[in-house]
This record gives sequence, C-alpha cells and structure tokens, in this order.
Amino acid sequence: MAHSNDTSRTGWQGRIGPWLVPAAILAGWQIAAQTGWLSTRILPAPSAVLAALWELASSGELLTHLQASFARAAIGFAIGGGIGFFFGLINGCWRVAENLFDTTLQMVRNVPHLALIPLVILWFGIDEGGKLFLVALGVFFPVYLNTFHGIRSVDAALVEMGRSYGLSGWALFRHVILPGALPNILVGVRYSLGFMWLTLIVAETIAASSGIGYMAMNAREFLQTDVVVLAILLYAVLGKLADVAARLLERRLLRWNNAYAGA
Amino acid sequence: MGFINLKELAELGEQVALGQPVPPAEPSRTAPDSGRPRDSGVPIALRGLGKAYGARTVLSSIDLDVAAGEFVAIVGRSGCGKSTLLRLLAGLEAPSQGSIALDGQALRDTHDELRLMFQDARLLPWKSVADNVALGLPGSARERREAALAALADVGLADRADEWPARLSGGQRQRVALARALVHKPRLLLLDEPLGALDALTRIEMHALIERLWREQGFTALLVTHDVAEAIALADRVLLIEDGSTALDLRIALERPRDRTSAGFTALEDRVLRRVLRHPPLEEAHAPAAAAAPFIQWRWAA
Repeated sequence: MAHSNDTSRTGWQGRIGPWLVPAAILAGWQIAAQTGWLSTRILPAPSAVLAALWELASSGELLTHLQASFARAAIGFAIGGGIGFFFGLINGCWRVAENLFDTTLQMVRNVPHLALIPLVILWFGIDEGGKLFLVALGVFFPVYLNTFHGIRSVDAALVEMGRSYGLSGWALFRHVILPGALPNILVGVRYSLGFMWLTLIVAETIAASSGIGYMAMNAREFLQTDVVVLAILLYAVLGKLADVAARLLERRLLRWNNAYAGA
Repeated sequence: MGFINLKELAELGEQVALGQPVPPAEPSRTAPDSGRPRDSGVPIALRGLGKAYGARTVLSSIDLDVAAGEFVAIVGRSGCGKSTLLRLLAGLEAPSQGSIALDGQALRDTHDELRLMFQDARLLPWKSVADNVALGLPGSARERREAALAALADVGLADRADEWPARLSGGQRQRVALARALVHKPRLLLLDEPLGALDALTRIEMHALIERLWREQGFTALLVTHDVAEAIALADRVLLIEDGSTALDLRIALERPRDRTSAGFTALEDRVLRRVLRHPPLEEAHAPAAAAAPFIQWRWAA
C-alpha cells in the first residue's frame, strides 16, 4: 500500500528506482564475466544465460523439460492436495474421524518428507512414481492442516443461524462451512505450492531422466554453468507463476472479504 | 354541492379510519377473530419449562400461553434467562424439563413455522444481500430470487440486493436479517434483542418497520429486550422474568401506533422500570450464556 503511494508521488523516478540496483548488479556481473575477472566456471555472463535460453528453447529441449516438470508438479499437487483436503474435511466435520486419523497424521508430519528419498528410490527407482509420491507428500500437510483448522474456525454463530434456517448436511456445508473455511484453505494451497516446487527440485536433481532438475544436473556434468543458472531461474519463475495463480484464485473466491477486495 | 361532497368524504374517511385494523386496546382483541388477518399466527403454550446448565438453573417452571398473532415482549435484567427462553423456543437448546407446544404440537415437528432474529445480523459475508435472504428457501433459483427481492422491498432495501453485507450499515444489516426471517412466512417470529446494537434513531425506525410487518403478516411475535420503552412501544403484553421465572405479566392497552410521549406510555414505562429495579442486580456468576462462547465454538462438530 505504502509502496503504491510512493510511486504515485514520485512519478517515473519512483517507478524506476526499485529496478536500479538489480540493473546495476546485472551490468556489473556482465562486465566482470566479460573481462575474465569472474570465471565462467563459477558464474556465466547474463548474456550467456540468455543465449542458453535461446538455444534450448529453439531446439525444443526446454519445452520438453518444462512439460515434464510441470506435469509432475500438477499431478503430485492434485494427488497430495486432494487427499489433504479430503482428510481436512472429514476430520474437521466429524469428531470420530478426527479421533481416528489426526494423531497418526500428526506423527507422520514430523518425518521430513525429503528424508524418505533413499527409501523412495528403493521403492520406485528413478521412475515417475517416486517423484509424484514425494511431491504429493510435501503438498499434503499444508492443505490438510489449513483445511482442518479452517473448518474448525468457521463462525459457530453462522452455523447456528444456518441450522435454524433449515440448512443441514450438504446444504449447510456448501453455503456456510466451506465458504467460511475457504480463506484458510487457500492459505494452505499457497504454502503447499511452495513445498511443491521445493520437493520437485530435490526429487529431480537426485533421480530423473527429464525435467528442469535433470537438465541442470546433466549440464553440471558438462560444466555448462549457463544452463545450470538458467534452470535455477526457471524454477524461480515457475514458483512465482504458481504464487500469482494462487493470488488470483484468492481474489476471485474471496472477493466478498474486505481484506481482498480491490487488493 | 362541492361543500356537501367534502363533508361526505370527511365522514367516509372517519368511517374507514374506524373500520381499519385497530390495535388491541384489551386482551380479547388480540384473538384471531378480532377481524385482523391473524390466522397465520401460531399460539404458544409453555408448561413447566425449565433449563439448567449443570447445577445452575437458568429457567424454572415457566408457564405461559401466547395467543395466535400476539406480540409479547420479554424484559428482564441481563442474565435473567430471557434469551435462554427464546433459544429454547427456537429449538437451539433442549429444555431440561417441561414442554413447549406450538399450535398444540411439540416443538420438534413445527420447526419450519418459526424463525429467529439474532442479536447480531449473522448474515453470510460471502453471499450477496439477496442470496442471504434466499438462504434455505425452497424452489427454483428464479422463484427464490423473486421472493428475496419482495422481502427486501418490504424492508426498503430492494436497491441493495446485489451488494455484499459488509457494505451495509448495522441497521441495514438487521433489516436484511428481518427480511431473511420473514421471507419464510413464519407463523412465529422470535426476536433476540435484534436492535440492541443500533443507535436510537435507527431503533425507532426499526420499531415502526417491525410493527408494520407484524400487522400486515399476522405472525406471533416474541421479542426479548432490555429496553422497557421498546417493549411497551411494540408489545400487546410485557413479561418480566426474574430469577428464571415470570415476575410480571402486563397487558399494554395503548392505541397503535403508540405515542412515546403520551401520559399513558410514560406511566407504564415508569411502572415496569420500577418493578425491574426493585430486584437487586444479578451477580457476575449469572453471566449470560454468551460467556460460554469458546465451548460453543466446537460444539457443532459432532
């Protein structure tokens, strides 16, 4: 908020100001690389990274890897998020389910899912299954915890009102409980998107035959630092895109909420 | 010629005025056969009604008969059990003893005939004003929307139908809540201090609105309030609850619409207030049921 005020007050200077430092760093980096002061084994010049991008994009190799990574992320997210949402719902709505499942899930939550990698490689080899399993596991807990908490923190007064106005079962859930829990559920989705990329990066660099991570590891063996840096930047862009998508979803679904209106 | 016509008109006007629905000046006129469209109200009978939370008795052996279409106000000090009585009637809580009958039937089977207006409007913030009013209505989307718009027009908010509740003022929200209650055509309307949080001017407007809709639709109305003037302005009968039982049952025979500055009004207000004040205030242990809110938070998760 304060940021947008600043830009409106200082006009084009305010708009350009925040970008001066990154631009200076890029320029310095480029010069350092070109004069040989910075070895390309440590960091390639920004122009080299751009060239690598162009080369990989025009050969179609980049698209293949992007597709492979994106498909893994999406499928893993759908599986893990779906299961997390399901358990969040039933544990939030039914005491019996909470009693039965919550303790178990909380115990499993304490195991860092990346610690399972050796076991996952033994189970799945370097097949797709292992990576999907890890992504799904990483995504599961943020969605589960926030859905559960969201449902439990729905305003009891509104639920009482819904009941006294003749709503029950599915109607009560659809009109009162789910929309009331939605802000929390979306927080869980945003968290889990972060976990999704993190898990995918690790999983792809350890064992894969396609994807951005594979591309980076392959390039490392041939000392192609430009491709490695490109892969890192691609992960950053993909992460940013996922975050933007989650924000758009929030703005659309929570437009009744003053905190999101016109944000 | 013109003069005679005028005179005739004047007489006619007087006759119409006499023939118009006249507010009850005495108890018998509140009965359904008084010529008012009162067939839609439901009579209430409470027998030995009691409610206790653990060892703490909130209501004990309340006997009460309310005629169909009657407007009854329940007053009392904070924590006297008046809100609990309303929650029992609304079926939100089960009585510890005694029975509630609407039109001779047990409460459980007559739930659709009553609607409750809460202290806070309790509008769903994620639904537009019209969708809030249409909540729980049967029928197609178009029928429900039409019914909701008609109910909103009744409370003077038809032009706000497509806004979010967050955009409305407190008084407007309570008007939407009133429309939401009345769109179901209830035979009994329960009002749980619905105007407590509103400013004085908005309250007087709401009194007129509630009175008008009550006279048009003929439902039985039960209003819980801590405002004695509000009770006398609206009700046919004022009940005072003290220590969980009825301490006063007063018929209000003033003409409607009631003039708050008339001698009769102020005398009645004075009388009830004195009666309320005669009783010592309740200690903190008798705090209202709202104090149990943290527990209620979790209660609905079965």
